[in-house]
Amino acid sequence: MNPQVLIDGLMAGALYGLGAIGVTLTYSILRFANFAHSELLTFGAYAALALSSALGALSAGLLEPIAPFSFGWALPLAGLVAVALTGLLALAVDAILFGRLRHRRSSIIVMVMASFGAALTLRSLIEFAFTSKPAYFTRELQIALPLGQGMRATPDQLLSLALAAILVIGVHLLLTRTAIGRSMRAVSENQALAGVVGVDVRRVIRVVWLLGAALACIAGIMSGLLVQLRPYMGFDLLLPLFAAAILGGIGSVPGAMLAGLIVGLAEAATVQLVGAEWRTAVAFVILVLVLLLRPQGLLGRAQA
Amino acid sequence: MSAAPAPPPALATRDLVAGYERDLPIVRGIDFSVRQGEFVVILGPNGAGKSTLVKAIAGLVPIHSGSTHLAGEDITLSPVQEKVRHGLAFVPQTENIFATLSIRENLQLAADILPRGRQAAQIDEVYSLFPDLASRRGARAGNLSGGQRQMLAVARALVVKPSVLILDEPSAGLSPKIVGEVFARLKALNGAGITIVLVEQNVKAALAVADRAVILVEGKLRHEGPAATLSSDPIVGELYLGARARQGENGR
Ligand SMILES: Nc1ncnc2c1ncn2[C@@H]1O[C@H](COP(=O)(O)OP(=O)(O)OP(=O)(O)O)[C@@H](O)[C@H]1O
Ligand SMILES: [Mg+2]
Repeated sequence: MNPQVLIDGLMAGALYGLGAIGVTLTYSILRFANFAHSELLTFGAYAALALSSALGALSAGLLEPIAPFSFGWALPLAGLVAVALTGLLALAVDAILFGRLRHRRSSIIVMVMASFGAALTLRSLIEFAFTSKPAYFTRELQIALPLGQGMRATPDQLLSLALAAILVIGVHLLLTRTAIGRSMRAVSENQALAGVVGVDVRRVIRVVWLLGAALACIAGIMSGLLVQLRPYMGFDLLLPLFAAAILGGIGSVPGAMLAGLIVGLAEAATVQLVGAEWRTAVAFVILVLVLLLRPQGLLGRAQA
Repeated sequence: MSAAPAPPPALATRDLVAGYERDLPIVRGIDFSVRQGEFVVILGPNGAGKSTLVKAIAGLVPIHSGSTHLAGEDITLSPVQEKVRHGLAFVPQTENIFATLSIRENLQLAADILPRGRQAAQIDEVYSLFPDLASRRGARAGNLSGGQRQMLAVARALVVKPSVLILDEPSAGLSPKIVGEVFARLKALNGAGITIVLVEQNVKAALAVADRAVILVEGKLRHEGPAATLSSDPIVGELYLGARARQGENGR
C-alpha cells in the first residue's frame, strides 16, 4: 500500500474528528442527533470566506501568504470572527427551534426531523448567497514537503493536523478539569439531578452549542482550505461525522477523535485498495457495524 | 417591649398543589411546616404522592398553585438550581448520584456553587464525616455499593452546608444494618443543627429517629403527631400501618 494513504487518511480523519466532537457533545447533552451540525461546518467556512475577502479588500497586505502557508493573516482573523458567528447561529437556531421543542417536551424523532429541516434551510440559504460554484480561500499553490517513507504533506495540512490535536486536547481538558466541563458531564448523565446540585442546565446547553459550533466552524475552514468550499461540503461530511461520533462512543471526546482518524484512514485505504467509488460506503459500513456489534462505541459507557 | 417574634419555619408549604401534568394534581393542597432544627418524617402508602411533594418543593415537579417557603422566604418560583443556593438540599429517591463521575467529582460538582476559597475546606469537612468515601476519592461512583451510594448522595447534599436537608427514601434497597447506619448519621446531622425532612417507607426505623411524623394519603396530609406516640395511634394504623401489617411488613 502507498504510504501516502496514511497522510491522506490522517488529514480527513482529523477533520472528521473535530466535527464529530461537536456531534458527540451536543448529542450527549441535548439527547438527539442534530443533523444540522454539518451545516455549521459549511456556514463557518463561508463566513470565514466572506470575512477574509472583506479584510483583503480593506488591506491587500492581509492576503499576502504567511510563509510557508498558502493563506494570509486575513484567514485566521476572519476565522476567529467566523467562530463567534457560527456560535451565534447555533444559539439562534436553538432559541428559535430546538429550545422551543425541548420546552414542549417534544419526542426525539420530532427533534431529529426539525434538525433535518434546519439543515435544509441553512444549506439553501448558503447556496443562495454564495452559489453552488466551488470557492477557495486562496489560489496559492503549495509544494508538498517530503516526510520520508514516500509520504508528503503540505504546510497547510501539517498546520491543520497540529491545530486539530491542540483542540482535542483542549476540549478534553475542559471537560475533565474545569467546573463547566464537570457540569456538562453531569447534565449529560442526569439533567434533573444536575439541577438539584445547582447546575444551571440552560447555561450548560448554551455552552455546548457554542463549543460544538466553534469546532464545526474550524473543521469547515480546514476543509475549505485543504479541499474547497461548496454548499454541500458539510452535508457530504454528515455520514463520516456521525459514524465517528458513534464509533467513538457518544459523549467521549478522545473517542470521537480516535474514531474520526479510524474512519479517515479506512476511507483512504479503501480508495487505494478497492476504488474511489467505494469511499462513501466506508463510513456507512462502519456505522452499521458499530451499531450491531458495539453500540456504546469504543470509549463510550454502556447505556443504562 | 414585645417578645421577639417566633422564627419562621425552616420549611413550609401553603396549600400546595403540584403534579406532572397540568390537569392532574398529585399533591392536592398541602399545608406543611417544619420548625428550625426539627426532624420530620413523611409517611404514607405507595403512590400517596410523597416523592411528588418533595420534588415539587425541590423544583423538579411543576407547582400548580400554592407556595413553598424556606426560612420565611418564598421560593415557589425559584428554579431548581437556585433552591440549593437558598440552603435547601435534596437527595432524590433514585439516581441520586452521578455514576459516571468519581466520588471526588460528585462532591466537587456540588461545591462548584460555593466561593472558590471555601470549596476545598467544605469538601474536606464532608470527607471527615464519611471516611469510607475519603479513602476512595478517585473511585467511579457507579462502582460503589448501595449503602456507599446513599452515603455519597447525603455527603454531596451536605457539601454546601444546607439549612434544610430533604431525603426521599434513603433506606430503599439497603440492608437493615446499613439503614441503621444511614439513620444514625441523619440523627447526628440533625443534632448538629440541620433541619431534616425524611420520606420513608421504613416506618419503625424512621419513627425511631424523627421528632414528628406526617402521613400523606392520596395527595393530602391525613394525620400528624409526635413520632414517639404515632405508631400506637389507631388512626395511623387504619390509614397506613394496618395496610402495611396486612402485607406482612413492619408488623406491629
Ligand atoms: N414522572 C411521573 N410522571 C407522571 N406521573 C407520575 C410520575 N411519577 C409519579 N407519578 C404518579 O404520581 C403519583 C404519586 O407518586 P409518588 O412517586 O409521588 O408516590 P410516593 O408516595 O413517593 O410512592 P412510593 O412510596 O412508591 O415512592 C402516582 O400515582 C404515580 O403514578
Ligand atoms: Mg416515592
